[in-house]
Amino acid sequence: MKALLVTAAFIVPLAAAEKDMARALDEVARTATVMVDGDACQRIVTPRALDYMFKKDPNDPWVDGDNYEVNDHAFIAVKKTLIRLSRLAPFPCDVNLWMPIAGHPDKIRIVIRNVNEMSQFWPWGKLYQDMIPQMKQVLETGRRITVTEKPGWVSVLAPVHDSLDGTVALVEVVSQTRLDTHENVK
Amino acid sequence: MNLSTNGRVLVIALGLAVGVPLAAQNAGVQLLATPEYLRPDPFGGIVAADRAGPDKSEPDKATTGFSNKLRLEGARGSYVSFHLVVKMSQPGAYTLSLSFDRDKGKLQADLFREWFHFTDLDKQFYPDALIPIMLPYHSRLPEPDNRIPAQTAQAFWVDLWIAPDAQPKTYAAQAILEAGGQRSAVPIELKVLPAVVPNDDVLLMDHNSYGTSWLADDYPSISGKLGAEFFQSDEFFRLIHAYHRIFYEHRGIFHQLGYGHAGKVGPEFAPALAGSGPTRHIDDWSLYDRHYGPLLDGSAFAGTRRGVQPIPFVYLPVNPEWPASFLNWGEPGYETEFVNVLAEMERHFREKGWTHTRFELFFNHKKRYMGFPWDGDEVRFPADNRYFLEYGRLLKKAMPPGTPVKIVFRADASWDMEQQFKDLAGVVNMWVASRDILSWLPRAPAMLRQRGDVIWFYSGPPVVTQPASTITQFPLEGWMWGVGGFVDWLTVSAGSDPWFHFDGGGTALVYSGDRFGIAGPIPSVRLKIQRNTVQELALLASFSNRKPADELKKEAARLYNDTAPADWWNPRPAFAGEPPSNWSGTALDAASKPAMSHLEHIDPAAWARVRRYVMRLAAEEPAQK
Repeated sequence: MKALLVTAAFIVPLAAAEKDMARALDEVARTATVMVDGDACQRIVTPRALDYMFKKDPNDPWVDGDNYEVNDHAFIAVKKTLIRLSRLAPFPCDVNLWMPIAGHPDKIRIVIRNVNEMSQFWPWGKLYQDMIPQMKQVLETGRRITVTEKPGWVSVLAPVHDSLDGTVALVEVVSQTRLDTHENVK
Repeated sequence: MNLSTNGRVLVIALGLAVGVPLAAQNAGVQLLATPEYLRPDPFGGIVAADRAGPDKSEPDKATTGFSNKLRLEGARGSYVSFHLVVKMSQPGAYTLSLSFDRDKGKLQADLFREWFHFTDLDKQFYPDALIPIMLPYHSRLPEPDNRIPAQTAQAFWVDLWIAPDAQPKTYAAQAILEAGGQRSAVPIELKVLPAVVPNDDVLLMDHNSYGTSWLADDYPSISGKLGAEFFQSDEFFRLIHAYHRIFYEHRGIFHQLGYGHAGKVGPEFAPALAGSGPTRHIDDWSLYDRHYGPLLDGSAFAGTRRGVQPIPFVYLPVNPEWPASFLNWGEPGYETEFVNVLAEMERHFREKGWTHTRFELFFNHKKRYMGFPWDGDEVRFPADNRYFLEYGRLLKKAMPPGTPVKIVFRADASWDMEQQFKDLAGVVNMWVASRDILSWLPRAPAMLRQRGDVIWFYSGPPVVTQPASTITQFPLEGWMWGVGGFVDWLTVSAGSDPWFHFDGGGTALVYSGDRFGIAGPIPSVRLKIQRNTVQELALLASFSNRKPADELKKEAARLYNDTAPADWWNPRPAFAGEPPSNWSGTALDAASKPAMSHLEHIDPAAWARVRRYVMRLAAEEPAQK
């Protein structure tokens, strides 16, 4: 693994508590790069669902979501790994799986979320979204990045590799300095 | 001004008397009344959507439907409602009062000022939120807080409550407007019939919501004061109970889903857990019991007109991440955690005597929200049904035989509904069905009821830009179909500025009272009409002891929109035989079109005609004690 801790140049100075949190999340992220199976990740969303993801039909506004399906064996295997990884942190954190989309280099999609329903990047309900520059950087360089753009949030982005040593996905290891126990209960 | 033919028909159908020509009244200061389905606008007319017939654009029709004299009738144990309208040609102060001429007996009058929402959809004003007022009511036009330039009319919603033990006779009252030394009155005659509206409705109207974070946003005067303590405060739980009360008082029920699509559970929706695997257990019931205790023993409803009753249904917090961690899904640890905690819950509910409410094991997640690999809500891919079977097995294992605690397994079904009815028989026993798809399964409601299942359908509140009578369609449809209830999927979300930039209210039937210094929700015109529809439906259905139910339905359908009961169903489309994953949303819409087209434009007098029929039958009822 070539992963190295990168102190992101674009982050605001961190308070002591956030520094400790970032350090712990980075450790989880470093482990995630080793533990998450990139080949399994690529089997999660079905080709049919990926095809429908970009379909637009003015008469059927939910055509993309209604056809979203996954291979549950792959989903469950990867999700369990993500849950285990989140438990390495001494505070509540989520490890979310993100993946690029073949043929759409300017887009990114979240593939697995977890129980605290935290993400610094996911607009609730989106199947895909514009590529996050820091995610693009991780996918291109294979290096971890810490992002603290949203006040009170810390996310560490880390690459996920497949058996051909390609960077096929990334994890967002995320927490908040003040947990909101009611957000996203919907 | 004179009433047009259309207006006369509607006013008569609604039981309002046609008064003397209004021009004969003092033109500067007028107090008038309109039927509940004709919503006044702030400039002295009726909102365009509620004007009868195709002539909505004609200016003279805007004033059709007003009356200066009311002759009403109603059954006992029910509300009779109408709008009062203060019209003033010049700005100024006024006083509104309402008093009964003689003994008012067991009658009570509730008055509400109607807020005129500027609606972004069509840049028009619609009255909907109802602010409770005390009489006599002093204010001025234009109404200062509603801030409508050139406002010349203020509407008030009047609920006359007739207690079940009120004496059947004719009561007289007067509404009086005083302004600028002038006086205008609307005499009100209310004939109370001996018939009593049954307590139990023919179908349950459920009002759904998600989580509680919106309460902090909607009640800044409370949450701001309490800060981080808000979500554990007495004020917070009082607010939740106030939402249950308002829907209960309007013959409905309230649901709050307490978890997210990836399994996050709001702390007040579930007991706190500790341990893992064999040691996982409930550590603390305190927040759960503060939230649900008064709802499950009914004490939250003390002082309401409908009395103390436990809520009939409630969501459990169970989801694929609670109470068992999804980390152990498919392993013995998952089963151990799930079964042990569910068994503890059953024991707690039994010990508390919470045995009247049906606790719903319900999965709301969809795979498109990336939490779990199967759809709990609206299964489209039949392979997902195996998860339901597994949870059915776990639930069965957790429940002791013969428990008086009622836990039901609920599924909200659409695409795969027809197959799920078969494959999940005996496992899922509460269904909330897509209205579109249920519309081609006319035998399903009876079949499900026969095997002991609960069957509802889901819908949403009509927006205020539709005719006010539109909201009557779902109760009537539910009764025609023989289902046990329907769900308005979201009813507490009025948008970021419902007061001056309203989104139409497609997700709201109540509003926060915070703006008016009220620590709780306030009702809406649509909620009131919904309530009145259901109470009248309960009365109509009660006549099945002397008229066949089919005959009652046939006549109600004819009067409502000139249809026969068969018109309320659709033929099963050819594609229904194919796997649901092959269906398109467009084809689905087309398949539900024939029956739905009868409900696309409900005329303002639609329910009024049915109500008149109900009152006629009620008048024939032998007197009851």
